[in-house]
Amino acid sequence: MSTKIKDTNSVGSKIFKAITYVILILFALLAILPILWLIMSSFKTSQEYQLDRLGLPKGIFYKNYIEAWKRGNFGVYIINSVVYTSITTIAICILGMMSGFAFAKIPNKATKGIYASYVVGILMTLQSIMIPLFIIINQVKLYDTKLGVLIPYIGIGLPMGVYLCTEFIRSVPNALVESARIDGAPYGRIFFGIIVPMSAPVATTLAILTVSGTWNEFMLINMLTSSTKNKSLPVGIQSFAGSLSTDYGKLFASLTIGLLPMLIFYLVFRKEITKGVAAGAVKG
Amino acid sequence: MKGTEVSKKREDRIGQAPKNFLGLSSRGEEVMAYWTFVLPGFLIYLFVMAFPTFFAAFLSLTNYRGGALFGPKSVIWGNIAPERKMKIIGFDYYAQMFHDKYFWLALKNNMWIVFISVFGQIPLGFIMAYLIFRGMIKGKDFFQTVIYLPCVISTVVIGRLWGAFTAPNGALPDLIRLFKPGYVAGNSTHPMIPVLFVILWMYTGTYLIIFLANLQKIDTSVIEAAKIDGATEMQALRYIILPALSGVIVTSAILAISGSLKSFDLIYVMTSGGPAKQTYVLSIFMYDSAFKGAPNYPLANAVSMVMCIISFTMIGITKAVEKKFGGRE
Repeated sequence: MSTKIKDTNSVGSKIFKAITYVILILFALLAILPILWLIMSSFKTSQEYQLDRLGLPKGIFYKNYIEAWKRGNFGVYIINSVVYTSITTIAICILGMMSGFAFAKIPNKATKGIYASYVVGILMTLQSIMIPLFIIINQVKLYDTKLGVLIPYIGIGLPMGVYLCTEFIRSVPNALVESARIDGAPYGRIFFGIIVPMSAPVATTLAILTVSGTWNEFMLINMLTSSTKNKSLPVGIQSFAGSLSTDYGKLFASLTIGLLPMLIFYLVFRKEITKGVAAGAVKG
Repeated sequence: MKGTEVSKKREDRIGQAPKNFLGLSSRGEEVMAYWTFVLPGFLIYLFVMAFPTFFAAFLSLTNYRGGALFGPKSVIWGNIAPERKMKIIGFDYYAQMFHDKYFWLALKNNMWIVFISVFGQIPLGFIMAYLIFRGMIKGKDFFQTVIYLPCVISTVVIGRLWGAFTAPNGALPDLIRLFKPGYVAGNSTHPMIPVLFVILWMYTGTYLIIFLANLQKIDTSVIEAAKIDGATEMQALRYIILPALSGVIVTSAILAISGSLKSFDLIYVMTSGGPAKQTYVLSIFMYDSAFKGAPNYPLANAVSMVMCIISFTMIGITKAVEKKFGGRE
């Protein structure tokens, strides 16, 4: 009797497994085919694309990339993106650990209120304040400057950073900090000597999340910059793509250039990124 | 031996200290240190996020349409002609906003995005996570990586890619013609459909990851035990899996609803709100009021306030739900 149940179960589970594979492979294809189509089309000449928009390219027409790179200023944009992303990430990690240390280990009545305001900042919809932010950046004469992009980026990423660091540093044993205090160590030395080295894991997670968020940011930097020397890669691609009318080869080549840095970053750090996504949702 | 000596030394010092065991001078040092660590970040945060919110509330009640706010030529207190000065005029621009049919169209399109998120992304994400979890299949990591991939790519690339793909002279009409010869691509009667499809395509992976992470916390032996007792798969889903995920499902739904306000990049790149403003959402409506033609900042700020109010309401609901379901881990 019991073996019979087991048998039907295993047949059922085999069918279930097969259906599962079919459905998941379909979804995976749906997710990846448009991206493969883009990369494939980037190797066609514009005429070839207009004649056959779905087929494989006849050859590897890599000139699209050379021309797009030459005309699109992508070198400048990539350097700018690296500058924005790295400074923002470093600043958020340092400021996040500093605030996290103070909130978690230095008693103060202000902690409750300030920390709560950061938590509101995590959930706040940034889009709702873009126009006032633009007016303010304009008024303090930071429009179209790198600083005028970096300050908003740091301020926007900070709530998440403070939250993650505070929660992590809370788990550092109080005894460590207290005994250092009793031995007369100033808070600065405790921070650099104990907290920073111990916070390496949370700083890594935070850095990976901040890099992927900052690199792709488009709305603010599109509004806050106007000259080539300050635009980031997404803004540069948007304006370059806008200048092409039917030059599809160069369009697809420039989009592929825009795709590659994040694609590589994602494939390297996918475990950490998915972990961060899952944790972010639970945190709410 | 050495250890006891050290701890004895410490005890001595504690013994010497007054009531507050760190002493008065170190209490002052403590306060100093606290603010040194907290203020740099907090000031940036206030400047970038808190101040603009209040500033928008103020500007939405004025007729400010540009010009210096500070310095000698300030429109508030500067030495300029009185008719150029900024005036507080109350809720006129809110009235203008509520009488603008495109505001309502934008709000309706935002609701469509909420709809596709709650009834598209979440169920699809759940089904995929459930299949991966219960199917006990190989390549779990592979499927998760591939399905989440669209979410990490720049929205500009995604928007342009789909824009080119779905254009009347793009690849999609060719694809349709493979199945339905003679198909002629015209202007769609529902311009939001491609946008909604791309939103579904792009963000469903997020919910797959969220649900899978939480499914993996369920003790599978409970499900197996129920199965041995004769429970069907549907019963296991209904009585074990769904109750265990209820908090996450509710939190995800709220995230999806408030996330719909965030749709700016994709629509800006794909359609810029067109054709004929048919794909307007609140953020694009606000952007166009501020930057298209003569800047109408008060109107833009009024829209901004509406979005802030929706956003803060959602935050309040999230917090209440978290308290009820204990969603925080």
